[in-house]
Amino acid sequence: MTQQNMPYFEDVELGDEIGPLQKVAADGEVVEFCQLWGNPMPNRFTEAAIAAKANLPGPILPGVMSMALMAQLLTQWGGAGALKDLDLVFRQPVPHNQPLSIAATVTDTRQENGENLVECDILMTGVAGERYVGGTALLSLPTKGQ
Amino acid sequence: MVMELEYDRSLYGKEHEAGPFEVTKEIIQAFSQSIGETGAVFNDESAAQTAGYRSVVAPPTLCTLYVRRVELPDINLKFGRTRFHAGQRVQAKASICAGDFLTASSHLKEVYPKTGRSGTMVFIVWETTFRNQDGEVVADVQESYAARE
Repeated sequence: MTQQNMPYFEDVELGDEIGPLQKVAADGEVVEFCQLWGNPMPNRFTEAAIAAKANLPGPILPGVMSMALMAQLLTQWGGAGALKDLDLVFRQPVPHNQPLSIAATVTDTRQENGENLVECDILMTGVAGERYVGGTALLSLPTKGQ
Repeated sequence: MVMELEYDRSLYGKEHEAGPFEVTKEIIQAFSQSIGETGAVFNDESAAQTAGYRSVVAPPTLCTLYVRRVELPDINLKFGRTRFHAGQRVQAKASICAGDFLTASSHLKEVYPKTGRSGTMVFIVWETTFRNQDGEVVADVQESYAARE
C-alpha cells in the first residue's frame, strides 16, 4: 500500500528531519473533536470559564487530539500504514487558535523481523518555543526492492 | 527509600470490556476533518481502495476515541489531590477501515511513583486492547494519568 512521494527505507538517515507540520486547532475543530470523542460539553477543552476553574490559561486541546495532530505528520511523511508506535508525554497544556509546529528527527534505523524500522523523536512546540508534547515514534517503511 | 503506595491492587488481572463500536465512514471523515487530515485514503473510499484498503482508512489514533467508553473502576489511590492526563501511547497492529467493528478490553497495567524537581507524582497506567470483528488485535493503547500532591 504505497503512496506517491513516500520515502524508502534506504533513503532515510540518522538525523533526518521530518516536517515541520504547521497546525492551528481552531475552537470549532476542538468542539467537533469532543463531540466525536463523546466528552460531555461544555468542558475545559471548550469553555474558558471551566478551564479557568481548573487553573488553565484558557481552553486546551484534549491529549488525544494533540496525539492525532502529531500522528498526522508521520502519516503524511511515511504513508497511511507506516506508523507502528507513537508514545507521547503531555508536558504542557496545548492552547486553541495558536500556531503549533510539529517536527520529528530520525534517531535510529534498523531491520528487524523482516521490517524496515525508523525511530524518531517527535515534538509539538509553540511560537515562543513552548515544548507542549514530546515523545517517540516507530515507523515501518518499504525498501526499493519491495 | 521505596514509597509504599496504597491503592486497590485487586484490580490487577481484571479485564473491563466495551463495544462493539462500529467505525463508520462518517466517523472517520469527521475525525479527519476535526484534525485537518486531508490525506486521500482517510477521506475518499475510491482512493483508499485504489491503495489496497477495504474502505476509507482510520487515522492511526482514531481508536483512542473509544478508550473512555470502557467504564473503569476507581483504583482508590491514597495519594495526591489533582490528576491529569500525563501521556498516551498507541501501538498500531493492523489497519482499521470503515465498516469494522471494534471491541475494547482494558486492564490496569501499572501504578508507580516518580520523583522529580517538582516533587513526587504517582502514575496510573491503563492498557486497552482493540480487536476487530475477526478477533484480530488492531491496536494497543496505554493511557497514563498522574496524581500530584
